[in-house]
Amino acid sequence: MHELDLLMNGFVTLASNPLALLLALVGVALGIFIGALPGLTATMGVAILLPFTFGMDPVSGLLMISGVFFGGVYGGSVTAILLRIPGTPAAAATAMDGFELTRKGMAGVALGTATLSSFLGGTASIIVLIFLAPILAGFALKFSASESFALAVFGLSIIASISGRSVIKGLIAGFLGLLIATVGMDPMDGFPRFTGGYTELFNVPFIPVMIGLFAAAEAFKTLEDPKVRLGMAAALGRIIPEWATFRRLLGTVARSTGLGVAIGIIPGAGADIAAYVAYNEAKRFSKTPENYGKGELAGVAACESGANGCTGGALLTMLTLGIPGDAVTAVMLGALTLQGLQPGPLLFKEHAELVFTLFAGMLFCYVAMLVIGLGSLRFMGRVLQMPKSVLTPVILLLCIVGTYAINNSLFDIGIMLAAGVAGYFMQKWDFPASPVVLALIMGPMAEANFRRALSLSGGSYDFLYTRPITVVLLTIAILTLFLPLVKRWRSHRAETRQTGAASSLNQA
Amino acid sequence: MSNPPAGGEGPGFGNAMPMTTKIANLVIAVVLIAIAASAIAATGDFPKSMLAADVGSARFPIIHAGALIVLCLILIANTLRAPTAPAATGEAPVGIAGYAGVALGMLATAACIAAMEYVGYGIATAVYMAVIMALMGQRNPLWNPVLAVGVTALVYGVFHYALQVPLPVGSLFE
Repeated sequence: MHELDLLMNGFVTLASNPLALLLALVGVALGIFIGALPGLTATMGVAILLPFTFGMDPVSGLLMISGVFFGGVYGGSVTAILLRIPGTPAAAATAMDGFELTRKGMAGVALGTATLSSFLGGTASIIVLIFLAPILAGFALKFSASESFALAVFGLSIIASISGRSVIKGLIAGFLGLLIATVGMDPMDGFPRFTGGYTELFNVPFIPVMIGLFAAAEAFKTLEDPKVRLGMAAALGRIIPEWATFRRLLGTVARSTGLGVAIGIIPGAGADIAAYVAYNEAKRFSKTPENYGKGELAGVAACESGANGCTGGALLTMLTLGIPGDAVTAVMLGALTLQGLQPGPLLFKEHAELVFTLFAGMLFCYVAMLVIGLGSLRFMGRVLQMPKSVLTPVILLLCIVGTYAINNSLFDIGIMLAAGVAGYFMQKWDFPASPVVLALIMGPMAEANFRRALSLSGGSYDFLYTRPITVVLLTIAILTLFLPLVKRWRSHRAETRQTGAASSLNQA
Repeated sequence: MSNPPAGGEGPGFGNAMPMTTKIANLVIAVVLIAIAASAIAATGDFPKSMLAADVGSARFPIIHAGALIVLCLILIANTLRAPTAPAATGEAPVGIAGYAGVALGMLATAACIAAMEYVGYGIATAVYMAVIMALMGQRNPLWNPVLAVGVTALVYGVFHYALQVPLPVGSLFE
C-alpha cells in the first residue's frame, strides 16, 4: 500500500506546517460563510481567494482553496434548511425537505444531519480520490501529444452538458473562449497573436478573467436589487441527531456518496446534479417515498452526502488529467498553475509528496468542516444578517485588489472589469460563463498538442485514427458533445407530441 | 452560472421569447460575428510557420472564429423564427433604477482603476467603497465613511503586511 505510506508521510509533513492547517481552517470557515450567503457560490469564493494564495507555499495556498471549496458546497445547506433560500445550486435539493423540517421545529436536527452527511460524503470521496488518482495518473503517463490533444478535446466537449438551458449559447460562449485563448504567443512559433502591441497580453491572463466572470459579475448583479438580507428566526434546539435516528440514514448516506463520487468524476456533472440524483435514488429506495418533500431527514442526508461526495470525484479528473469537471475545479486548476504546478499525470510523478500532503490536508479540511459546521450553526444566523450594502463593496474591492496582486498590474484589473461586465450581460441573457473558462484552459492545450502531434507525424493526420487511446477519447468526446443535444431534441419532440405545440425548451 | 434571461420564456408560450431577449440575442450575435470576422481578417498578417508540417498560427483562430460565426448565425435564425412572447413572467423585472445602479457600479469600478494610477490604492478605494455602499442604499453619513476607510485599511494591512504585496502608491505621491 504505497499510497498509505505516502498519505502517512503527508500527515507528518502537514503536522509540521501549522500555518497550512490554520489556513485550511480559515478556508473552511470562509467557505461555509460564502456558501451560506445566497448569491455567493463556492466558485466565487475560490475565485476571490485565488490571488491571496499567490504569496503562500503551495500546500497552504491549495489547502485554503480546498477548504473554501468543501465549505462552500456544505454551507449552501444552512440557508436552504433555515430560510428555504439555497446558498448554492446544489442546496436547492436540500431545501425541499430541509425547510419542511424547520417548519416542524426540527431545524437543528436537519442542520446536524446535513453537516454529518456532508462530512461522511466528502471524506469518503477524498479517500476514493487518494486510491484512484495514482492509478489514473499512471495510465495518463502513457499519453503523447496526440492523446493529450484528444484529452483536451474531451475536456472541451463537456461544454454541451454545462451549457444550461441553451446549448447554442453554451457553444457560442465556448468558442468565444477558444478564440480569446488564441490571444498571446503562438505555442509553436512564438508569434504574438491579437495582442495589439500589449506585452501584458502575451499570455492570456485567465485568472483576472475568472475573477471577473465569477465574482465581479455576481457582485454587479446584486447592484440591481440592493435589498437587505432576510433575518433568521428559527430556534435550532437539538443539533446532533440521536444515534438511533442517524443509524437508519447510514445506508442512504453510503449510496448517495457513491453516486456523488461517480457523478463528480464525469466532467460537466457537478454537485447540483449529484444532489438531485442522490435525492431521487433515496426516494426510490425508501419504504416511505410519500414522506419526501414533506420533511424527510433521509432526503437531507442524501442531498448533502451526494453533493459533497462529488468534490473528490471532481478533483480526480482535474488533478490526474488536467480536466476541470466544473467551474470550481476550473478555478482550482488556476490556483495550481499559480503555484507553478501543472495538473496532470506528471504532478503525481514529480510532486507525489506534495500531492499526498494535500490529500491529508483535504481530509483535515473535512474534519474541520464538521467541527466548524456543528460549532457555528447557532450563531450563523446573526452572521447571515450582514447587509448586501456592505458585502457587495467588499467583494468588489477584493476583486480589484486580488487581481492587482497577481502581477502588480493595473492592466489586469482592467481585464477583470471587462470580464465582469461581459459576465454580467452573459448572465442576464443566459450565456453560461463556465464554457469560457473551460475553453481558456483547454484551448491552448488542444492547439499546442495538435500541432505538436502533427509535426511529429510529419504533417499526416493519421494520429487522429491510428492511435487507440486517441480514437477512444475522441469518440467519447463526440458522444459527450452530441448526447445532450440528442437528449434535448428527443425531449423536445416528446413534449411537442404531448402538447401538440412547441415545447418550452429554449432553442435559442 | 446561467440564470434565466430577464423576461424568460414562460410556460404556455412554446419557444416564444420576450422582445427584450430577442433584441439582446440579435445584438450579441451581430457583435460576436463582427469580432470573429475581424479576428479572421487579422490572421491575414500572421506569418507562415517555419515548420513544413505545422498548420501555422492562423489556422486555429480561423477555425474558432468560423465556428463562432456559424453558431451566431444559428442563434439569429432561431431567434427570428421564435414567436414573440409577452413580457416577463418569472423573475421580478429589473427596473431602470436597477440597471442604473449596475451601470454606475461599473463606471465607479472603472474610475477607481483609473484613479488608482494617480492617487494610489488608499484614496481611490476608500472613495470607491463609499460610492458603492451609497449605491447599495448604505447612506449613513457617519457609518458610510467609517466602513469605507476601515475596510480599505484592513485590506491594505492584509495585502501589504501579511501577503507582502505592495499596493499602488499613485504617481502623484511617488
